[in-house]
Amino acid sequence: MQVKWRNNLKNGCRHAALAPILLLSGCAGTPFWIFDPKGLMADTNLFYLLVDVGIMGGIVGLTALLVIWFMWRYQKGKNRGKYDPTWSHSNTIEVVVWGIPIIAVGFLSYFAVTGTFEINPYNPTVITNHLKPVSDPVEVDVIATDWQWLFVYPQYHMAVANDLVLPAHTPVFFRLTSSAVTTTFFIPQLVGMIDVMPGMRTKNALESNHVGEYQGIASDYAGAGTSWMTFKTKIVKSADFREWVRKVQQSPTSMTYASFNDYADPYINVHHKVAYFSSVPDGLFDHVVDEVMKGKTWPIPPMMTENMVAYMQKQNAEHRD
Amino acid sequence: MLVDLAGGWNPMLGRLAWSQIPYDNPILAPLFVAVVIGAVLVLGLITYYGKWTYLWKEWLTTVDHKKLGVMYILIGLVMLFRGFIDGLMIRTQQAWAVGPHSSGVFGATHGYLTPFHFGQVYSAHGVIMILLAATPLLVGFMNIIVPIQIGARDMAYPYLNALGLWFTAAAGALIMISLFVGDFAHNGWFGYAPIFELQYSPGVGVDYWIWTMELLALGTTLGGINILATIIKMRAPGMTWGRLPIFVWASLASNVIALTSFPALQVALALVAADRYLGAHFFTAGLGGNLMLYTNLFWIWGHPEVYFVILPAFGMMSEIFPTFSEKPLFGYMTMVLASMAIAGVSWLVWLHHFFTMGAGPYVNSAFSVATMLVGIPTGVKVFNWAFTMYRGRLTFNAAMLWAIGALFLLLVGGLTGMMLAVPAINYMVHNSVFVVAHFHSMLLTIVYAIFASVIYWFPKVFGFKLNEFWAKTMFWLFSAGTALVFVPMYMLGFMGMTRRLDYVFNTAWHPYLLVMEFGIVVYTLSVLAFFALLYVSVRDHASNQVGADAWGTSRSLEWLTHSPVPFYNFAVLPHVNARDEVAWRRDNGIDHVQPDHYEDIHMPNNTGVAIVLGGLTFVLGFALVWRIWWLCAFSLLAIIALVIYRSFKGDPGYIITAAELEQMEKAAMRREARIGKQQHRVGSGVLGEAIAYARSDLPSLASQPGSTGGLDHRS
Ligand code: HEM
Ligand SMILES: [Cu+2]
Ligand SMILES: [Cu+2]
Repeated sequence: MQVKWRNNLKNGCRHAALAPILLLSGCAGTPFWIFDPKGLMADTNLFYLLVDVGIMGGIVGLTALLVIWFMWRYQKGKNRGKYDPTWSHSNTIEVVVWGIPIIAVGFLSYFAVTGTFEINPYNPTVITNHLKPVSDPVEVDVIATDWQWLFVYPQYHMAVANDLVLPAHTPVFFRLTSSAVTTTFFIPQLVGMIDVMPGMRTKNALESNHVGEYQGIASDYAGAGTSWMTFKTKIVKSADFREWVRKVQQSPTSMTYASFNDYADPYINVHHKVAYFSSVPDGLFDHVVDEVMKGKTWPIPPMMTENMVAYMQKQNAEHRD
Repeated sequence: MLVDLAGGWNPMLGRLAWSQIPYDNPILAPLFVAVVIGAVLVLGLITYYGKWTYLWKEWLTTVDHKKLGVMYILIGLVMLFRGFIDGLMIRTQQAWAVGPHSSGVFGATHGYLTPFHFGQVYSAHGVIMILLAATPLLVGFMNIIVPIQIGARDMAYPYLNALGLWFTAAAGALIMISLFVGDFAHNGWFGYAPIFELQYSPGVGVDYWIWTMELLALGTTLGGINILATIIKMRAPGMTWGRLPIFVWASLASNVIALTSFPALQVALALVAADRYLGAHFFTAGLGGNLMLYTNLFWIWGHPEVYFVILPAFGMMSEIFPTFSEKPLFGYMTMVLASMAIAGVSWLVWLHHFFTMGAGPYVNSAFSVATMLVGIPTGVKVFNWAFTMYRGRLTFNAAMLWAIGALFLLLVGGLTGMMLAVPAINYMVHNSVFVVAHFHSMLLTIVYAIFASVIYWFPKVFGFKLNEFWAKTMFWLFSAGTALVFVPMYMLGFMGMTRRLDYVFNTAWHPYLLVMEFGIVVYTLSVLAFFALLYVSVRDHASNQVGADAWGTSRSLEWLTHSPVPFYNFAVLPHVNARDEVAWRRDNGIDHVQPDHYEDIHMPNNTGVAIVLGGLTFVLGFALVWRIWWLCAFSLLAIIALVIYRSFKGDPGYIITAAELEQMEKAAMRREARIGKQQHRVGSGVLGEAIAYARSDLPSLASQPGSTGGLDHRS
């Protein structure tokens, strides 16, 4: 019941809000990723955005109109309104001007708190409250390096670099860490941001019912390669997912602790290179967290991208491309 | 060496080497040549016109709060210009380096800035705009206006005031020299852990960032102490708390924040320095460090800081709206309460800068609600300004236009701030250009308020008005630029475009980035209009002269004394009878009452110590950046010795005799009579109980706050 009015509100607001935007962008689908969510988490975010903008936008808009009206009415020499050179206090107005923001903030606070729980990255109730026993969740361990993403699928003992493939209609649970510096994991149409930090583990989750390809971004500055540290997220049908898993598992390369060590060296992924690893050691994720906590780092040479062209030549020459 | 340094070190020059000078950089090398030529030209002109003594006596060694304020504002404007150039470079790179097929020059694969340089440009932009443009501009105004508004002759500690200015100048010099010697940090204005650690940032850039920020923090803390002491101790007789001009209240709230929050920044940066210089592990990922601690410490200062800069801007708006609405500020008490509430709540919200760092839902909820609480007093302020206009008589001159622009930007920034305060929304737009657009709305509110104040208070300080036409032209160009840059930026935020991209991977964003580039061009025009404004106003200054009450509808005490304000501010300290003293005197027909006799006044001497200390701290900062230990030791010892020397020497001050004072006052009054303001000499006691000037035959005045006649400091 509660969900229903929400959905009505959501869809109503969304259409109203999107109408001008859609007009702007033609029929080719909106470039406004935030207004075009394709997963439960992003959907919930949009709902709260619309509530907040609805309430605050109303107040701010009316205030703006009020100011404009006063500007028009009390302009000197126009004699539209009465001039009262001493008027500077009114209890009624004081009550109203404190009352409106207090009520608005009270109202918004309720939504802020419920929203925080609904999409709490560690236990997003929009997903966990509806877990169907039939659909086994997929787990993905995300390891950010300088400057690539490694997605480990512990259930399938395999890993993929810079490409995330997930089944539709299935909850996905992430554990995230970084081998080098802090950055943020973000797929605008599917799930909001969560920081990935070296020596630490954060979590997130998503669920999508929309087959398609969505952009993933490293949204916190992590050094020279940040702008190219992107990845595609593909939501596919379950059957296609099984097929894809088989394909990755047949890849000739595999990852060991030693090869992870090389893999994690600074590398700018200019050509969006994707790599499949048919096997990874169990516990690679915990291993990386442990190593980093013990002080392991993958340092960056001084001024490494002072000349990007030269750096790319060097990176190519080292056959890391 | 406690840490491994890439690139070598020697005892003489530390890390300094020829290779650190970017003489082969196609942007910096020509700029360097231009700067050198410009500097030689300026120095040559000063010598040619024989102005060195004047400069040294009247400006470089001054302790006059108005001159120090003017220099603060000059530094602020110069740095605003530098920051603007950085902004232009950022926008140009992002408009150019879009998609895999975009071209690249100067060693960049796309655009003209490599990641290494792009990171430095936006980090410098942020540090400069917040700490070296907005802060000095506001501190400058507080410096000039607060003492006059409370009827004081100077700040509580004039020498400390000079010290604060020269520390700020030293920090500005340090960040400027990082352009030509070495490089600057790439970790953003707030720094990220652990990317600023030596392993990930082996150059000197982060060190420049640390010491620049430390110096600024020091200067601002000293300034804060001074303004607080001034407001609390130096008020004229009759200037009770309930009559304090609203800008003074805002300054008070703001500096309470400064005094209590800047130490947190200093500690955070000192710990970063410990990591980088001593091999400590406060914020490293491993070996027991905690990088989230840095983020917390930084924003425990960082959030109060943004309110430290907005509160004076609110104060400015609260002065300008009443003057040009020709009626008192609506809800004075509420405004005071709201300022204090903002200052208080600003302490409780720092976590909203990192909702995504993974705190639990209870913590995030608490900070979310706390953050929204700030919206209440902020909203009240906007309503109060609206009701100040209500039943007023509004003149839309340039100052008023800028203030109204600030009000509308505040509405936009407030709306988006309230969106960011909700974690469920924040997760989607944090680290996106939406946040960038939010805080630029807010910081531009400040910039608008500052330009409003430049126009509003310029005649008070210099005795003539700025040109209305160019001030308005600049306003409209600047506003067009603002709309063209920030409307698309908000839209890009909703498209998911993240911050700090030196290469834009999504070509769908390109049209918007091009519009923003066009907006920057319009901004550039407004900068030119500003230069025209200064030129035309100075050229025509003879015909724009004003008397004490420059606007004719002014309200607070600073408009009582002559324009330009004499160096002693008030020949005789005024007695304050009402909240809007000048308006009150005007309404009661005693605005031209002059004191019936003068007394000797005691003024502080100029001192060269402050500027020398500033120079030495610059040397110290530079030596620390390059790890030239002998120079560090030398400059530090010199600083300590000089401070000790000065504190033993003290300053006996000097006396302006009543006769001299009368001479100067007569000259000022003749000037005013010439430009059309009639002055009557009437006795100082007027209107029954009311008093215009303190009289020696009224002993009860001694119990009034700050009624000690002349200055009484032995600093
Ligand atoms: C109604 C009052 C305000 C609210 C509710 C608010 C809320 C927020 C929130 C939640 C953020 C964090 C965004 C994020 O990184 O995800 C933020 C960022 C910021 N705000 Fe505000 N804000 C308000 C007023 C101001 C004011 C008055 C200023 C002063 C100029 C300001 C300057 C900033 C700055 C500089 C940042 C971002 C710093 C950075 O990440 O580089 N805000 N604001
Ligand atoms: Cu900026
Ligand atoms: Cu904040």
